[in-house]
Amino acid sequence: MITLSCPWCGPRNVTEFAYGGESGARPDPATATPQPWRRYLYTNANPAGPVTETWLHRAGCRRYLVVERDTTTNEILAIRRPGGAPSTSARHATTGRATEQRP
Amino acid sequence: MAGAGRGHGNGATNGRSPRYSAWDLARRGLTGEAWPPAWRKHELRPSYDVVIIGGGVHGLATAHYLAANHGITDVAVLDKGYIGGGGSGRNTAILRSNYLTPEGIAFYDRSLELYRGLAADLNFNVMFSQRGHMTLAHNDASLRTMRWRAEVNKLVGVDSEVIDPDEVAKLVPRMDVSSEARYPILGALWHPPGGIIRHDAVVWGYARGADSRGVQIHQNTEVLGIDVVAGRVTGVQTSRGAVSAPIVVNCTAGWSSLISDMAGVEMPVHTFPLQAAVTEPVQPFLDPVVVSGTLHVYVSQTDRGELVFGASVDPFASYSTRGSLEFIEGLAGHVLQLMPSLHNLRLLRQWAGLCDMTPDYSPIMGPTPVEGFYVDVGWGTYGFKAGPVSGEQMAACIATGATPELIAPFALSRFAAGELVGEKGAAAVGH
Amino acid sequence: MTAATTPGAATRLDPQPGEVIDRTDRFAFTWNGVEHHAYRGDTITSALAAAGVRVFSRSFKYSRPRGILTASYLDPGCTVQVDDEPNVRGSHRRIAPGQAVTAQNVWPSLDRDVKMANQAVGRFLTAGFYYKTFIKPQRLWPTYQRVLQRFAAGGTAPDTAPDRLRYDKRYAHPDVLVAGGGPAGMKAAVAAAKHGAKVLLVEEEHELGGHLRYGDTGDLDRLALLRAEVAASDVEVLTDAVVAGRYDGNLFAVVERSAPGLTERLTKVRAGVAIVAAGLIERPYVVEGNDLPGVLLSTAVRRLINLHAVKPGNRAVVLTANPQGDAAIADLQRAGVQVWAEDARAGGDIVRILGRGGVVGVEVGDGRKVPCDLVVTATGWTATTSLLNMAGDRPVYEPRIARFLPSQLPDDVLVTGGLAGDDDLDELLDHARAAGELAAERATEPGSVRGAALPVRPIVDACLPALPLHDHPAMFRGPTHGFVDFSEDVGSKDLAAAVAEGYDSSELAKRYTTATMGPSQGKLETVNAVAAVAEATGITIGQAGTTTWRPPYAPITLGALAGRNFEPVRVSPMQPWHEVHGAAPLVAGAWIRPDHYGDPAAEVRAVRDEVGIIDVTPIGKLDLQGPDVPNLLELLYVNKWQKLDVGRVRYGVMCAEDGVVLDDGVTGRLGPDHYLMSTTSSGAAGIWEWIENWLQTERPGWDVHVTPVTTAYASMNLAGPRSRDVLAPLTDVDLSADAFGYMHVRTGTIAAVEDCVLWRIGFTGELSYELHVPAGYGLHVWETLLAAGADHGIRAFGVEAQRTLRLEKGHLIVGQDTDGLTKAGSAGLGGLVKLDKPNFVGKPELVWQQEVGVTSTLVALQPVDPTEVPPEASQIVVAGRTVGRITSSRRSPTLGRGVCLGQVPPDLAAPGTHVTVRLPDGRDIVAVVQQHLAHVDPEGARLRG
Ligand SMILES: Cc1cc2nc3c(=O)[nH]c(=O)nc-3n(C[C@H](O)[C@H](O)[C@H](O)COP(=O)(O)OP(=O)(O)OC[C@H]3O[C@@H](n4cnc5c(N)ncnc54)[C@H](O)[C@@H]3O)c2cc1C
Ligand SMILES: [Zn+2]
Repeated sequence: MITLSCPWCGPRNVTEFAYGGESGARPDPATATPQPWRRYLYTNANPAGPVTETWLHRAGCRRYLVVERDTTTNEILAIRRPGGAPSTSARHATTGRATEQRP
Repeated sequence: MAGAGRGHGNGATNGRSPRYSAWDLARRGLTGEAWPPAWRKHELRPSYDVVIIGGGVHGLATAHYLAANHGITDVAVLDKGYIGGGGSGRNTAILRSNYLTPEGIAFYDRSLELYRGLAADLNFNVMFSQRGHMTLAHNDASLRTMRWRAEVNKLVGVDSEVIDPDEVAKLVPRMDVSSEARYPILGALWHPPGGIIRHDAVVWGYARGADSRGVQIHQNTEVLGIDVVAGRVTGVQTSRGAVSAPIVVNCTAGWSSLISDMAGVEMPVHTFPLQAAVTEPVQPFLDPVVVSGTLHVYVSQTDRGELVFGASVDPFASYSTRGSLEFIEGLAGHVLQLMPSLHNLRLLRQWAGLCDMTPDYSPIMGPTPVEGFYVDVGWGTYGFKAGPVSGEQMAACIATGATPELIAPFALSRFAAGELVGEKGAAAVGH
Repeated sequence: MTAATTPGAATRLDPQPGEVIDRTDRFAFTWNGVEHHAYRGDTITSALAAAGVRVFSRSFKYSRPRGILTASYLDPGCTVQVDDEPNVRGSHRRIAPGQAVTAQNVWPSLDRDVKMANQAVGRFLTAGFYYKTFIKPQRLWPTYQRVLQRFAAGGTAPDTAPDRLRYDKRYAHPDVLVAGGGPAGMKAAVAAAKHGAKVLLVEEEHELGGHLRYGDTGDLDRLALLRAEVAASDVEVLTDAVVAGRYDGNLFAVVERSAPGLTERLTKVRAGVAIVAAGLIERPYVVEGNDLPGVLLSTAVRRLINLHAVKPGNRAVVLTANPQGDAAIADLQRAGVQVWAEDARAGGDIVRILGRGGVVGVEVGDGRKVPCDLVVTATGWTATTSLLNMAGDRPVYEPRIARFLPSQLPDDVLVTGGLAGDDDLDELLDHARAAGELAAERATEPGSVRGAALPVRPIVDACLPALPLHDHPAMFRGPTHGFVDFSEDVGSKDLAAAVAEGYDSSELAKRYTTATMGPSQGKLETVNAVAAVAEATGITIGQAGTTTWRPPYAPITLGALAGRNFEPVRVSPMQPWHEVHGAAPLVAGAWIRPDHYGDPAAEVRAVRDEVGIIDVTPIGKLDLQGPDVPNLLELLYVNKWQKLDVGRVRYGVMCAEDGVVLDDGVTGRLGPDHYLMSTTSSGAAGIWEWIENWLQTERPGWDVHVTPVTTAYASMNLAGPRSRDVLAPLTDVDLSADAFGYMHVRTGTIAAVEDCVLWRIGFTGELSYELHVPAGYGLHVWETLLAAGADHGIRAFGVEAQRTLRLEKGHLIVGQDTDGLTKAGSAGLGGLVKLDKPNFVGKPELVWQQEVGVTSTLVALQPVDPTEVPPEASQIVVAGRTVGRITSSRRSPTLGRGVCLGQVPPDLAAPGTHVTVRLPDGRDIVAVVQQHLAHVDPEGARLRG
């Protein structure tokens, strides 16, 4: 079980969070035609690699978060508040440390 | 595609696997004569009439029926690993046809019909065991959905009925049908034709059948790119070189959006891991397949005595198949709510496979906007049971160039048209 | 001599220096109904072996007799039933007084097994034989299948659960977890602890020490020192516990098999750094007869002699390729066993092992036949890379030492001990100390984050020096074929046949033959299987590679995984009253609520004729405050909200972005910037998140504060023509029709409780007041209302009556009268959906739905025959095909007839249309589409009264 470093609460088990799916840009509902709208509703990029998605810290601060995650390893690349700058991610905290320790 | 291809398959019967029979088994037992390969190895040719990506049940069945039903034998099945290494070798092999919509029921019922005759058709014992399929209802909303399914099934002629807790207890003696249970059992949908099968045998049987008709199976051959010229597919790039083909079929389930991306075709597919687990064997006590939607668990017992458990997909999308501890904890908790006496059985192994989930819990089959590029994907958590009918219908679709009626409801175009398949109706009735 | 016992029952040796049995504590137990004795500390098989028992099971396919092979948890032929517990590992489990142990998988008995006949036909039961037979006639397959099921291995599951399940779970957060309590693990643990780390050391055997436990006196001295070091440290030690799995984020499952008072306990360990020091497993030698009772691994005889003082035989042939084998020879000789040694390093070998029910001799390398009753092999080691594999390792085969070595790991997993290389004990301990210190450093460094998924990197990159490797001959298979997988009865010949048939990779051959799929999950067999596949395909073991190891490393009981059942249940503050008054419970998700109090029809009549009261606490309630609440409501509901005055309530429906109906409820305006929203009970949690999602991610500029208050209030609905009369004397709110009209909200005091919210709304179709009372006073208000209503004929009603009432009134239930594809245009909402609003969630799809026309719509139906009540989900058919369905139906006590709601296609939706309803019993009846959704009081006169 991986942890996610919530920008508000700190590192927490992934089971505290709810997955909200890939973040995607919504076409303007006022002008959208069916084709792009349904593409928005149903299509996913579904990459094998980094993807930007929405998560909710359901059993914590109940904030929605923007998470960058590698779908092949589940490594968390960055977490930030919606619209905000990237917070310190798990990766910076751990990988950096290990590198410094190498002889 | 019309016509019978270039006929590389001619003469391919030399060296093919002989008919299996008890008699030959005995003869070889006495003489020590070895069995020849069930399928053969080949050099990758520079071109084929049809390239099928994915050596799971869908790809192999499509190849088999292209050759067997339509005489199209210049076919290559490419798999990046070994055949059956994807969902087809990892699923819990539950077969049933009691879906919700008439089009869904007709489709899966044809698959069960093919499964019933498959051992004889393929001359390979696939060990289909029609021990019945039971879906438990723990609240009135799910009981209502069971009735809905039962009523539609009856109209279409599929054996499916709602039974009460006493009948549940009779069919599964260890089930806790008391009203003290945290989620008491109010009834169940009982579907006698459902059951389990030996998944690997189905894969191998189709591989052997396809091979014997001239289809080439290439394992350890990864597709890295798809060539599209002026809106038409012309071939694939593989880890073993380029292959040209006017028809390319995507049968890669959990990886299918990656393959479609190579052809520039966007798909409403989202890949989630699905986990399963098995216990150590105990003496047989559980005959039917038991499913509880409320408790997110299903259980069956194999002929070997192991209990096979499954549940719903992981809580977030991923291509990782490492599996999680939370999964087996939750699973065990739910199993013991259903059958508390199983507390001292031991969980022996857990594993995961990838599921290509679609927005309406229904597959995506047929042509795409790229001419010659076909998909047979979106099989999610339920596609093993559809292997035979998908192979049969996809083969017909490719051979005739027309989409057969049975798979027409599952066209890719339905999403842009906003005409989702009604299987979503029941799945989303939350309460 | 029978197959099951050797002559001369007394094979217990004089006291041994390292023995773990307590000779002062002797007790009785039974084996297949016969009484035997054991010393405390004996395993099931050591006690029985001391009594001369040699056969513990019959093999899965050929029913061959099987005895002790490894004398450890992995012993494939020593799985037994203990009382009602199946599949107990007899060579690991310590026997307790009075236990009844029985052999499994024997039919009809251990000595005389009908399946024994299979041995004779074994040559026909080749790998995958069942795929090639029983094909025709197909109708006979079920019969064949019953026969196959007779072969099911394993014990018998209990058919009742004990009163109290003794399983538990806990969490641990050590800085350093050490898997394996041999010398390397002990040393690493102590070093990490000295370095300031909190350490958990887990050992699968019953004591710390690994191979030193069954070593010579020199080993025992070293062990005593190491044990003293551990005892003097702060290391937490778990023995008879196993690290069963490594999961993402360095989470480990540790199973404790003898936690006090418990059957099993699961400890979930989030480790800063894990050190895997799980050592090596001795590998069986594949040769004809290698499964006969009396063929043991060298570590097995050392365990039997040194730990349990059991003499394993009288005349032994030992094939040794390493020092462990040499030590076994010394132990055997000390125990008075005659030994014939075949030294593989000097060209010695075993051609085949002779015997039927047990070993009687060996054909050795030079062709001579040596009589014996014991064969011991020491032919090599399998590295326990399973946990490492789960951490992302891809073990690499090293031909020089004939075993796999780890190659790549994340930074939070280290390896030491025999897994990492060979050396004498001092060097190994130095390596272990360094590993412990490095682990402590990494885990306790400030800023280190636990639980992240870390990338793997090559081990040569890591900070520990590589250990030297000692050459070992590559001995997998002898000159003849033998068993590779003992529990699955798969031989090297089967694997070769599988490869020839095209199943020519490790994975395919494994699946085709089922080798490594049995109870030890390949720990004993995998490398021999890979070697057989490699040999048959003409590639190297390295090229063949191992298969993927899946968790768990060792099996875990379902009880331990489940732990205690902590499924919470929600009840309202009025639950004590309901229970006293005979409420039939209805489980609705997390809630338990009254379905009825015995007579739902009477409850309905009470509401229509006089007054009733229902507990509706589970209804979702959200307190919304802020100037932008109207914008929010306007966005999420399909109808208009900008002009909702203070004191007013409005019904609304929400759709998802695909236009599908999501939820419904009423929202009232309590003050200028203060609203109370209600949702369906099952939608409460989801709608809260739905609103927060819009506010946080899409409209962060809006000033709205959302507070869930579902359980802050106890909610009750007082409904019926006399509800005003009941409530009026108890509240300071003016209830007169003019002062407090239909679809209005007031706040005030009820039964002396302040801060109550009163809504005048009518799900039941009657004059009614929905009262939201501070939860702590819920029961008080409820009882006060009931007391006050006594003179008015008040009656509590449950969910069943409420459903009937609302159906009579034609109010839909989201999820029942709609489904996962029902868009608002099909939900019978009429003019509620305001497509002329500039924007609301779901609008684009609803506009398009209107353009193309709906395919289905909700209508009210009444069967022509008033006595018919078509069950919910009955299908509406045209020419035998389904076109719609009954979504709700009840017998209406008010009208004395069946009433329904249903989804029908537009061409059947016109009032007066006759439709055919197919009942579950197969009959067709006719029902008529009604003018209004409401069967009772369509004008709403009662509501507004
Ligand atoms: C745990 C689990 C339980 C399940 N239980 C059931 C069940 O009980 N009943 C049921 O009906 N269904 C079940 N399913 C679903 C079912 O397994 C799948 O829907 C089905 O197997 C899909 O078959 P397929 O042939 O389409 O794909 P797969 O069998 O997944 O085959 C796809 C193949 O494509 C190959 N591939 C991928 N990318 C490439 C590439 N670039 N180049 C070449 N080859 C590539 C893969 O190696 C793989 O072999 C379950 C699934 C899982 C994971
Ligand atoms: Zn948080």
